[in-house]
Amino acid sequence: MNKLVKLYHTLGSPPSFYRIAGYFLTPLLLLALGLTAYGLVDGLFFAPIDYQQKDAYRIIFVHVPSAWMSMFIYAMMGIAAIMAFVWRMKVAEAVMMASAPIGAAFTVITLVTGMLWGKPMWGTYWDWDARMTSELILLFLYIGVMAMYAAFDDDPRKAARLTALVAIIGLVNLPIIHYSVEWWSSIHQKSSVKLTGSTGIKDWDMLRPLLVMAFATKFYYGYSMLHRARSYLLHTESQKQWAQAALGLDTPKKQNKEQSNG
Amino acid sequence: MIGRYWAICQRDLLAAWRRKAGLYQPLVFQLLIVTLFPLGLGAGAQTLSKVAPALVWILALLGTLITLEHIFKDDFEDGSLAMYVRTDLSLPLVVLFKALGHWLMVGLPAVLFAPVVAVLLHLPESAYGVLMLSLLLATPIFSLMGAVGSALTLNLRSGGLLLSVLVMPLLAPILIFGAGAVLETSLDNSAKGHLLLLSGSLVLTLTLAPLAAAAAIKVNLE
Repeated sequence: MNKLVKLYHTLGSPPSFYRIAGYFLTPLLLLALGLTAYGLVDGLFFAPIDYQQKDAYRIIFVHVPSAWMSMFIYAMMGIAAIMAFVWRMKVAEAVMMASAPIGAAFTVITLVTGMLWGKPMWGTYWDWDARMTSELILLFLYIGVMAMYAAFDDDPRKAARLTALVAIIGLVNLPIIHYSVEWWSSIHQKSSVKLTGSTGIKDWDMLRPLLVMAFATKFYYGYSMLHRARSYLLHTESQKQWAQAALGLDTPKKQNKEQSNG
Repeated sequence: MIGRYWAICQRDLLAAWRRKAGLYQPLVFQLLIVTLFPLGLGAGAQTLSKVAPALVWILALLGTLITLEHIFKDDFEDGSLAMYVRTDLSLPLVVLFKALGHWLMVGLPAVLFAPVVAVLLHLPESAYGVLMLSLLLATPIFSLMGAVGSALTLNLRSGGLLLSVLVMPLLAPILIFGAGAVLETSLDNSAKGHLLLLSGSLVLTLTLAPLAAAAAIKVNLE
């Protein structure tokens, strides 16, 4: 068998996904924690002061990586949703449902840090500019995905398929929403302070912590997503033998045998 | 061939015509909310005409939104939806005609009613044509996206709120283009770009929404 096809089938089966993902958890968590610690110390203490925004700009090291993640995770969730819907892969359903709350959390972090940053820079917590508005709509999309799944508590497979459909529809609409909001804000007045000027960050000492934090959030997503996906599989497959074995429970069959023996 | 699909649509229209309530209630709902705005905002014509382009549009959207849940729900509950799936009818086409039925019952009246709301809110007279044209392009989108939302939630006892959560963010661009067109016209600018974008959205929704709704119905009836 083709190696790639074999990998696909191995990762597609819940028990082996559960086992293989287990190996990655600790390294991913350590990488995430280590890089976050380094990125924050470097960003908050050693990166040079911005000539215009002074120390207030340092929130960028949390804000921008979170904003990247909020979109990256939606894309991941959308891809998982397509796989879940087309091939009915349980593991893809798990990845999709595991991604949604993490993405929503990063979106909330982006919005909150953005508001905190906006107060000293723009003089207001909220301004209906294009990025903030589309980030808010992104949060609604995440909430829709999670609410759709939560609405079906009796049938997780059906819930996952419908949720996958919601995520796919959102993925198709995301570019339309993004551009429409951008054009919409162009007829409104521009904010007086441009957040990231057209020049962008050129100083390597400023860029380094930002990139480190970007990697740290990726690793955190990897850790958290795999962890959640494992729990999701355990939960939905709790009647299967492998899940009971993974939980350290005796399988019902064995219990019956013991009873008959006794 | 089309006759059988048209029959589904006709049946919906006939049922709505005999019941009447479904036809005028969305419009009454719009009127009720219109009344609230001058009460809260002050009745000055200047204030109202400034927000009128957005308000007329949002009201048409809200008036449609409260009716969306029932596009498929009634058919699901009495079992006729399961029958459509089992016959050799093409499900996306059934969806298209169900959406057409909904548009004729709710969307078209909303378009025709919009000038009344606009008068009450002192919308500049020059914008009436564009208002109706933009709503004419957008209300079918409401019905089609509503069909998707209704297909997703037809199994749920109280799916109305979930439907709003699912559909509203997707309609944000439509509101931007539509209300933008009216706003531009009321400011004596050309609304051509906005209207073209609305037409594009309509074509896209017309193509993709029936497929999505049909997929959701199939999952729900599995």
